[in-house]
Amino acid sequence: MAAVAGRTYPAVRFEIESERVADFARAIGADPSDGVPPTFAAVYSLGVTAPQLFGDDEAAVDFARLLHAEQEFEWRRHPRVGETVTSQARVASDTSRRGIRFVSFETDTSDERGSIVCRSRALFVIRS
Amino acid sequence: MTERKVTFTREQIAAYAEASGDMNPIHLDDEVARSVGLPGLIAHGMLQMGIAATVAAGAAGGPQRLRRLAVRFAGMVVPGDAVTFSAEPAGEGKLEVKAVNQHGVAVLTKSVAEYGA
Repeated sequence: MAAVAGRTYPAVRFEIESERVADFARAIGADPSDGVPPTFAAVYSLGVTAPQLFGDDEAAVDFARLLHAEQEFEWRRHPRVGETVTSQARVASDTSRRGIRFVSFETDTSDERGSIVCRSRALFVIRS
Repeated sequence: MTERKVTFTREQIAAYAEASGDMNPIHLDDEVARSVGLPGLIAHGMLQMGIAATVAAGAAGGPQRLRRLAVRFAGMVVPGDAVTFSAEPAGEGKLEVKAVNQHGVAVLTKSVAEYGA
Protein backbone atom coordinates (compact mmCIF):
# COMPACT_ATOMS: atom_id res chain seq x y z
CA MET A 1 0.00 0.00 0.00
CA ALA A 2 1.43 3.32 -1.08
CA ALA A 3 0.61 6.58 0.63
CA VAL A 4 -0.32 9.13 -2.01
CA ALA A 5 -0.73 12.32 0.06
CA GLY A 6 -0.47 15.41 -2.12
CA ARG A 7 -1.51 13.66 -5.30
CA THR A 8 -3.84 15.66 -7.56
CA TYR A 9 -6.09 14.35 -10.30
CA PRO A 10 -7.07 15.90 -13.63
CA ALA A 11 -10.07 18.24 -13.56
CA VAL A 12 -13.38 16.72 -14.62
CA ARG A 13 -16.16 18.66 -16.36
CA PHE A 14 -19.79 17.86 -15.60
CA GLU A 15 -23.02 19.26 -16.98
CA ILE A 16 -25.84 19.59 -14.48
CA GLU A 17 -28.81 18.13 -16.32
CA SER A 18 -32.39 18.72 -15.25
CA GLU A 19 -33.54 15.12 -15.45
CA ARG A 20 -30.66 13.86 -13.30
CA VAL A 21 -31.29 16.63 -10.76
CA ALA A 22 -35.00 15.82 -10.58
CA ASP A 23 -34.31 12.09 -10.08
CA PHE A 24 -31.80 12.92 -7.36
CA ALA A 25 -34.22 15.31 -5.63
CA ARG A 26 -36.97 12.68 -5.60
CA ALA A 27 -34.59 10.04 -4.22
CA ILE A 28 -33.81 12.18 -1.15
CA GLY A 29 -37.38 13.43 -0.75
CA ALA A 30 -36.64 16.99 -1.85
CA ASP A 31 -38.92 19.08 -4.05
CA PRO A 32 -37.54 18.97 -7.63
CA SER A 33 -38.90 22.50 -8.18
CA ASP A 34 -36.48 23.83 -5.50
CA GLY A 35 -33.55 23.72 -7.92
CA VAL A 36 -30.35 21.73 -7.56
CA PRO A 37 -30.34 20.04 -4.12
CA PRO A 38 -27.23 21.08 -2.15
CA THR A 39 -26.07 17.49 -1.77
CA PHE A 40 -26.20 16.98 -5.53
CA ALA A 41 -22.55 17.89 -4.88
CA ALA A 42 -22.34 14.14 -4.16
CA VAL A 43 -22.61 13.85 -7.95
CA TYR A 44 -21.03 16.95 -9.51
CA SER A 45 -18.13 17.21 -7.01
CA LEU A 46 -17.33 14.00 -5.11
CA GLY A 47 -19.09 11.69 -7.56
CA VAL A 48 -17.02 12.67 -10.58
CA THR A 49 -13.67 12.69 -8.76
CA ALA A 50 -13.79 9.79 -6.27
CA PRO A 51 -13.59 7.22 -9.12
CA GLN A 52 -10.21 8.73 -10.01
CA LEU A 53 -8.90 7.81 -6.57
CA PHE A 54 -10.56 4.37 -6.56
CA GLY A 55 -9.19 3.62 -10.02
CA ASP A 56 -5.65 4.77 -9.17
CA ASP A 57 -3.49 1.64 -9.01
CA GLU A 58 -0.75 3.44 -7.08
CA ALA A 59 -3.21 4.67 -4.46
CA ALA A 60 -4.36 1.03 -4.16
CA VAL A 61 -7.60 1.79 -2.33
CA ASP A 62 -9.37 -1.51 -1.64
CA PHE A 63 -12.92 -0.52 -2.52
CA ALA A 64 -14.46 -3.54 -0.77
CA ARG A 65 -12.86 -2.49 2.54
CA LEU A 66 -13.60 1.17 2.20
CA LEU A 67 -15.92 3.10 4.50
CA HIS A 68 -17.03 6.66 3.88
CA ALA A 69 -16.50 7.95 7.43
CA GLU A 70 -17.08 11.70 7.11
CA GLN A 71 -18.28 14.16 4.49
CA GLU A 72 -18.32 17.92 4.39
CA PHE A 73 -19.53 20.28 1.69
CA GLU A 74 -19.04 24.04 1.72
CA TRP A 75 -20.95 26.04 -0.86
CA ARG A 76 -20.14 29.54 -2.07
CA ARG A 77 -23.31 29.27 -4.10
CA HIS A 78 -25.43 26.47 -5.47
CA PRO A 79 -25.06 25.69 -9.17
CA ARG A 80 -28.07 25.89 -11.47
CA VAL A 81 -29.51 23.34 -13.84
CA GLY A 82 -27.81 23.66 -17.22
CA GLU A 83 -24.47 24.85 -15.82
CA THR A 84 -21.26 23.01 -16.54
CA VAL A 85 -18.93 22.80 -13.56
CA THR A 86 -15.36 21.60 -13.26
CA SER A 87 -14.10 19.56 -10.30
CA GLN A 88 -10.52 18.94 -9.32
CA ALA A 89 -9.49 16.61 -6.53
CA ARG A 90 -6.45 15.98 -4.38
CA VAL A 91 -5.43 13.59 -1.65
CA ALA A 92 -5.06 15.97 1.29
CA SER A 93 -3.66 13.32 3.63
CA ASP A 94 -3.05 9.60 3.64
CA THR A 95 -2.04 8.01 6.92
CA SER A 96 -2.22 4.60 8.57
CA ARG A 97 -2.65 3.70 12.21
CA ARG A 98 -2.85 0.15 13.56
CA GLY A 99 -3.61 -1.29 10.16
CA ILE A 100 -6.35 1.20 9.35
CA ARG A 101 -5.74 3.67 6.56
CA PHE A 102 -7.28 7.17 6.57
CA VAL A 103 -7.51 9.07 3.29
CA SER A 104 -8.71 12.66 3.25
CA PHE A 105 -9.91 13.48 -0.26
CA GLU A 106 -10.73 17.06 -1.19
CA THR A 107 -12.48 18.31 -4.31
CA ASP A 108 -12.88 21.91 -5.47
CA THR A 109 -15.69 22.59 -7.93
CA SER A 110 -15.65 25.77 -10.02
CA ASP A 111 -18.05 27.37 -12.45
CA GLU A 112 -17.28 28.38 -16.03
CA ARG A 113 -15.80 31.69 -14.88
CA GLY A 114 -13.40 29.83 -12.60
CA SER A 115 -15.12 30.86 -9.36
CA ILE A 116 -15.35 28.24 -6.64
CA VAL A 117 -18.87 26.89 -6.23
CA CYS A 118 -18.33 24.05 -3.77
CA ARG A 119 -15.59 22.45 -1.72
CA SER A 120 -15.93 18.81 -0.73
CA ARG A 121 -13.93 16.96 1.90
CA ALA A 122 -14.39 13.22 2.27
CA LEU A 123 -12.71 11.02 4.84
CA PHE A 124 -12.34 7.44 3.70
CA VAL A 125 -11.33 4.69 6.12
CA ILE A 126 -9.88 1.52 4.65
CA ARG A 127 -9.63 -1.55 6.84
CA SER A 128 -6.74 -3.91 6.16
CA MET B 1 -36.84 22.08 15.53
CA THR B 2 -37.39 20.64 12.07
CA GLU B 3 -37.78 16.88 11.88
CA ARG B 4 -38.42 14.16 9.31
CA LYS B 5 -38.79 10.44 9.89
CA VAL B 6 -37.81 8.18 7.01
CA THR B 7 -38.31 4.43 6.81
CA PHE B 8 -35.67 3.23 4.39
CA THR B 9 -36.63 0.83 1.59
CA ARG B 10 -34.68 -1.12 -0.99
CA GLU B 11 -36.50 0.82 -3.68
CA GLN B 12 -35.39 4.16 -2.25
CA ILE B 13 -31.78 2.97 -1.90
CA ALA B 14 -31.84 1.67 -5.49
CA ALA B 15 -33.34 4.96 -6.71
CA TYR B 16 -30.56 6.88 -4.95
CA ALA B 17 -27.93 4.54 -6.45
CA GLU B 18 -29.31 5.23 -9.91
CA ALA B 19 -29.69 8.99 -9.46
CA SER B 20 -26.32 9.50 -7.76
CA GLY B 21 -24.37 7.10 -9.94
CA ASP B 22 -23.02 5.27 -6.87
CA MET B 23 -23.84 1.74 -7.98
CA ASN B 24 -21.55 0.00 -5.47
CA PRO B 25 -23.20 -3.45 -5.09
CA ILE B 26 -23.09 -3.20 -1.27
CA HIS B 27 -26.10 -0.89 -1.74
CA LEU B 28 -27.90 -3.15 -4.21
CA ASP B 29 -27.10 -6.79 -3.57
CA ASP B 30 -27.46 -8.59 -0.22
CA GLU B 31 -25.07 -11.39 -1.17
CA VAL B 32 -22.29 -9.06 -2.21
CA ALA B 33 -22.82 -7.01 0.94
CA ARG B 34 -22.62 -10.13 3.13
CA SER B 35 -19.46 -11.28 1.34
CA VAL B 36 -17.68 -8.17 2.66
CA GLY B 37 -18.96 -8.62 6.20
CA LEU B 38 -22.08 -6.45 6.14
CA PRO B 39 -25.44 -7.67 7.45
CA GLY B 40 -26.94 -7.25 3.97
CA LEU B 41 -27.28 -4.31 1.63
CA ILE B 42 -26.94 -0.93 3.34
CA ALA B 43 -28.08 2.59 2.49
CA HIS B 44 -25.56 5.03 1.09
CA GLY B 45 -24.12 7.38 3.69
CA MET B 46 -24.68 10.06 1.06
CA LEU B 47 -28.39 9.20 0.95
CA GLN B 48 -28.53 9.80 4.71
CA MET B 49 -26.67 13.06 4.21
CA GLY B 50 -29.02 14.06 1.39
CA ILE B 51 -32.07 13.54 3.61
CA ALA B 52 -30.34 15.36 6.48
CA ALA B 53 -29.73 18.26 4.09
CA THR B 54 -33.45 18.51 3.27
CA VAL B 55 -34.18 18.81 6.99
CA ALA B 56 -31.39 21.35 7.51
CA ALA B 57 -32.71 23.29 4.48
CA GLY B 58 -36.17 23.39 6.07
CA ALA B 59 -34.71 24.86 9.25
CA ALA B 60 -32.51 27.28 7.28
CA GLY B 61 -35.37 28.72 5.22
CA GLY B 62 -34.59 26.94 1.96
CA PRO B 63 -31.95 24.74 0.34
CA GLN B 64 -30.27 27.63 -1.43
CA ARG B 65 -29.38 29.15 1.97
CA LEU B 66 -27.19 26.22 3.05
CA ARG B 67 -23.52 27.18 3.12
CA ARG B 68 -21.97 24.19 4.82
CA LEU B 69 -22.95 20.71 5.90
CA ALA B 70 -20.61 18.31 7.67
CA VAL B 71 -21.55 14.83 8.86
CA ARG B 72 -19.92 11.78 10.38
CA PHE B 73 -21.34 8.44 9.28
CA ALA B 74 -21.51 6.61 12.61
CA GLY B 75 -23.86 3.72 11.95
CA MET B 76 -25.22 1.59 9.15
CA VAL B 77 -28.75 2.00 7.87
CA VAL B 78 -30.48 -1.05 6.40
CA PRO B 79 -33.88 -1.44 4.69
CA GLY B 80 -36.67 -1.23 7.27
CA ASP B 81 -34.77 1.12 9.56
CA ALA B 82 -36.81 4.14 10.62
CA VAL B 83 -34.47 7.10 11.03
CA THR B 84 -35.52 10.43 12.51
CA PHE B 85 -33.56 13.33 11.04
CA SER B 86 -33.65 16.64 12.86
CA ALA B 87 -32.08 20.07 12.74
CA GLU B 88 -32.16 22.54 15.59
CA PRO B 89 -30.71 26.01 16.04
CA ALA B 90 -27.19 26.08 17.49
CA GLY B 91 -26.36 29.77 17.34
CA GLU B 92 -26.52 32.43 14.64
CA GLY B 93 -26.71 30.74 11.23
CA LYS B 94 -25.85 27.35 12.69
CA LEU B 95 -27.77 24.12 13.09
CA GLU B 96 -27.11 20.91 14.94
CA VAL B 97 -28.12 18.00 12.71
CA LYS B 98 -29.05 14.59 14.09
CA ALA B 99 -30.16 11.26 12.71
CA VAL B 100 -31.29 8.58 15.15
CA ASN B 101 -32.66 5.13 14.26
CA GLN B 102 -35.58 3.22 15.80
CA HIS B 103 -33.25 1.75 18.45
CA GLY B 104 -32.18 5.19 19.61
CA VAL B 105 -28.75 4.82 17.99
CA ALA B 106 -27.28 7.87 16.25
CA VAL B 107 -26.39 7.06 12.64
CA LEU B 108 -25.01 10.54 11.98
CA THR B 109 -22.90 12.20 14.68
CA LYS B 110 -20.96 15.47 15.00
CA SER B 111 -23.15 16.84 12.23
CA VAL B 112 -23.59 20.56 11.70
CA ALA B 113 -24.99 22.89 9.09
CA GLU B 114 -24.38 26.58 8.47
CA TYR B 115 -26.57 28.91 6.48
CA GLY B 116 -26.71 32.48 5.31
CA ALA B 117 -28.87 34.90 3.39
